[in-house]
Amino acid sequence: MHLTGLDFFFWAVSFLENLGLLFVLWYRRLARSFPLFTALAMLCIIRAVVMYFVLNHGTRQSYFVTYWSLAVVDTILELGIVYEIASRVFRPVGVWARDVRGSFLWMVGLSVIVALGLSRLASPPARTWAQSFVTKGTLFAAALISELFVLMMALSISARLPWRTHVAKIAQGLGAYSLVSLLIETGHSYFGVGGEVRTFVFLSRIRIAAYITCLAYWTVMLWRKEQPSREMTEEMRERLFTLQRRVEYDLQDLRSRKKL
Amino acid sequence: MTTHNLYFLSAIGIFVGVLLSIAGYYYSRRRRSPQVSWEELLQRLTWIDRNNIAQVALDLVDEGGQPKGVHDAAGLEPAQLWKLVGGLKGLEVMETNSEVLIDLAFYLQQWYPEALVIAERLRLDARELKWHVARLKGAAQTGNLQISFPFYAQRAVVTYYLMTRRLLDLYQAVNFSMLEKLQDAL
Repeated sequence: MHLTGLDFFFWAVSFLENLGLLFVLWYRRLARSFPLFTALAMLCIIRAVVMYFVLNHGTRQSYFVTYWSLAVVDTILELGIVYEIASRVFRPVGVWARDVRGSFLWMVGLSVIVALGLSRLASPPARTWAQSFVTKGTLFAAALISELFVLMMALSISARLPWRTHVAKIAQGLGAYSLVSLLIETGHSYFGVGGEVRTFVFLSRIRIAAYITCLAYWTVMLWRKEQPSREMTEEMRERLFTLQRRVEYDLQDLRSRKKL
Repeated sequence: MTTHNLYFLSAIGIFVGVLLSIAGYYYSRRRRSPQVSWEELLQRLTWIDRNNIAQVALDLVDEGGQPKGVHDAAGLEPAQLWKLVGGLKGLEVMETNSEVLIDLAFYLQQWYPEALVIAERLRLDARELKWHVARLKGAAQTGNLQISFPFYAQRAVVTYYLMTRRLLDLYQAVNFSMLEKLQDAL
């Protein structure tokens, strides 16, 4: 196995952009607010180094195992980021907006069923069961993440929940990338997977190009400062707290009446 | 191309189409909303006689929203209630206004995330108000409006009245400079 000039270019740009993104997250003190997103950037850096090492010193089998193992971790982290964004949007002060919690859970359930249905329909022409399983799994994850982002946006807008700038930018980037991934995985499921399939290589390069664009977008957008929340005075906080307690009591009363 | 592949590609096509349509619709809705200023939001409120609202609501609940006892309630006559509320049209105006009240809470929530609980309560109130109005619209279609109106209309008005009180309390709590204008509008 060897890297072509274009592959090396993609590898280097992706590596450097991930480093840049990590620097921005650290410099702007965003790593604490978005730990899973930061972890994804770190994973990409580690993956770039590990894959380069395995490519030059490992076997074809070890490359396959390492590539797909890290792809699984990557997908889990992306799903984690969906949760991270949902928790920023639906519980900005540590409390879930309870009237949307039911809709959110319903939305997750529906998304899983639709994504499962799509991946079940796929029949990728693969040489091994592992390739077939991984292709279906990646298609499932891409469909699920795309659905969750779109439905989450719809739900938050319907419930009039504000998206803070940085959260919105991370969501837009990952949502767009997931949609591109979905189309690419559709291509993989149709044309087949494996380094020897030319379409697979071509589509994989498109995916990397999309990811590189996404990384550049995140780096620029997260570098920009978002509008800060206004600080409440102690008196304001006290008055709002009293009002909240009263409303919370009303809400509990309303919920218990609904349950009856 | 096999039939199976055809099904698969068609399913993906429909799936992506639906996702893009939902995303496009809500994205355009979201882009429109931040451009609306506070004054524009306020102008969206349709004028309703607050004295009438208070009279109808306080017939059933006290200032804090607690239900009154049977003996404390004045017991408005259905005809009087219809006149004070403005019939079904008046309730529809309240329904539309309730959406603006949520927008006004949302406006503040953008600056003060702590206002989340109050905004949540307003959303639930608006849902309850819609529910009452929907019952009345259904009753109007089956010719039972006169029987159903006193019960549902008064509860809808109570909900709307409490929504306005909660919004004013919220604006007062954070010392928002527009409180006076809001008080006038409500």
